[in-house]
Amino acid sequence: MSKDSIRHFIATELAADGAKTEIADNDQLLEQGIIDSFGIMTLLGFLEEKFSVHIEGDDLTPENFSSIGTISALIDRKAGLSAGA
Amino acid sequence: MNFALNEEQLEIRDSIIRFARQELAECGEGNEFPRAAWQKCAEMQLMALPFPEAYGGCGADFLTTVVATQAFGYACKDAGLVHAVCTQLLCGMQINSFGSEELKRRYLPPLMRGEKIFAQAITEAGSGSDALSMRSRAEHAADGFLLNGTKIFISNGPIADIVLVFAVTNPEVSRISGLSCLIVEKGMTGFSQCPPMAKMGLDTLQNGELVFADCAVPTENLVGSEGQGAILFNESMEWERCLLPAAHLGTLERVMETCVAYAKGRPAFGQPISKFQAVSSKIVEMKIALELGRLILYKVATSKDQHKRAALEASIAKLYISEALKQTCLDAVQIHGGYGYMQEYDVERDLRDSIAATIYSGTSEMQQNIISRFMGL
Repeated sequence: MSKDSIRHFIATELAADGAKTEIADNDQLLEQGIIDSFGIMTLLGFLEEKFSVHIEGDDLTPENFSSIGTISALIDRKAGLSAGA
Repeated sequence: MNFALNEEQLEIRDSIIRFARQELAECGEGNEFPRAAWQKCAEMQLMALPFPEAYGGCGADFLTTVVATQAFGYACKDAGLVHAVCTQLLCGMQINSFGSEELKRRYLPPLMRGEKIFAQAITEAGSGSDALSMRSRAEHAADGFLLNGTKIFISNGPIADIVLVFAVTNPEVSRISGLSCLIVEKGMTGFSQCPPMAKMGLDTLQNGELVFADCAVPTENLVGSEGQGAILFNESMEWERCLLPAAHLGTLERVMETCVAYAKGRPAFGQPISKFQAVSSKIVEMKIALELGRLILYKVATSKDQHKRAALEASIAKLYISEALKQTCLDAVQIHGGYGYMQEYDVERDLRDSIAATIYSGTSEMQQNIISRFMGL
């Protein structure tokens, strides 16, 4: 479920050329230029609000934002930590 | 929603105002870095406010740090010194948020005590607003990195003991993934600092070029992880675009009060010039900017204390307050007439100091671009 909402947000709000409507789980968001440095800031705001998580420090690595798959995994991990806290 | 500062924040604010008026009143003459005043600021714990007590800091939250910085900008007329202290704080915040435990223990104590002067080196001759297009390169070498490149306009650069340098560590990937932040110390082979550059204002702030020529930086001096530089940069901008405007807003308030006193005391045509609407309207605009600027500033600071994103609000604060300060200082000179144009009056220097506020930490044009992007335009 998180993947779909992340995918929708990136496709509609961040895709740099505005024409990227279909994004696969493993598409390389940073390397393919789908998300630029500004997009990361916007995406972080969306993720924190949508999933009620805080993403900071060691979690703020390019690897965690490289694809929808890695973003989703990060959210699952953070949400799991929040639920367990 | 609570618009009131707590007792501790009010006490800190008042004590900093008293300190600056008593201890820094003579500060700011000439172009030299005011080392004695710098040390007094450290003793006042201005550089220790937001850092954990475990490292010798005060453990203050970000709003309190912002209130303190605002008070410092209000009461200290040497905007160069204020900027130098803010730079020190911002370097420490990056180390505290992203540095290893070893880096925190090594660098935060001397930073807070003012024993070591810190700088952050991002801007290059060919990349100002487009910071991520930097060309400085840190290649993997034995036990670390070999750093090559030149940084320019670096605040505290010519006198810095420690520099946080942003450089490309992987040119094969996008800049979001390919930048890193490294700590370089004065005395490292291949690191040289050029003399301070002459500027329009902020006279005591030392800005200059830093040159790295095969400068060997050990792996443990990496702040955060390799490739984390661009994200670290984004994060630090949220703090920076709140902390620097805090100082600006303090200055704006002082300039406004100067104008109120002058306009009420200066007669023309048989009455104080404050009675002329062309004069009073300018001062009213200053008051409006002060009140609105404070709201957005404290909103950013409170958001950061709540671990929330505030990039949009920080850009609004930076843009609004820096432009308001510049306009306030222009109007202050105008209200003072011929006296305002003379160096004998503080508003002349305030105006020169204010211009840079709309340039550094992202120009006003860049802030408008960022706000526009956040609005989906």
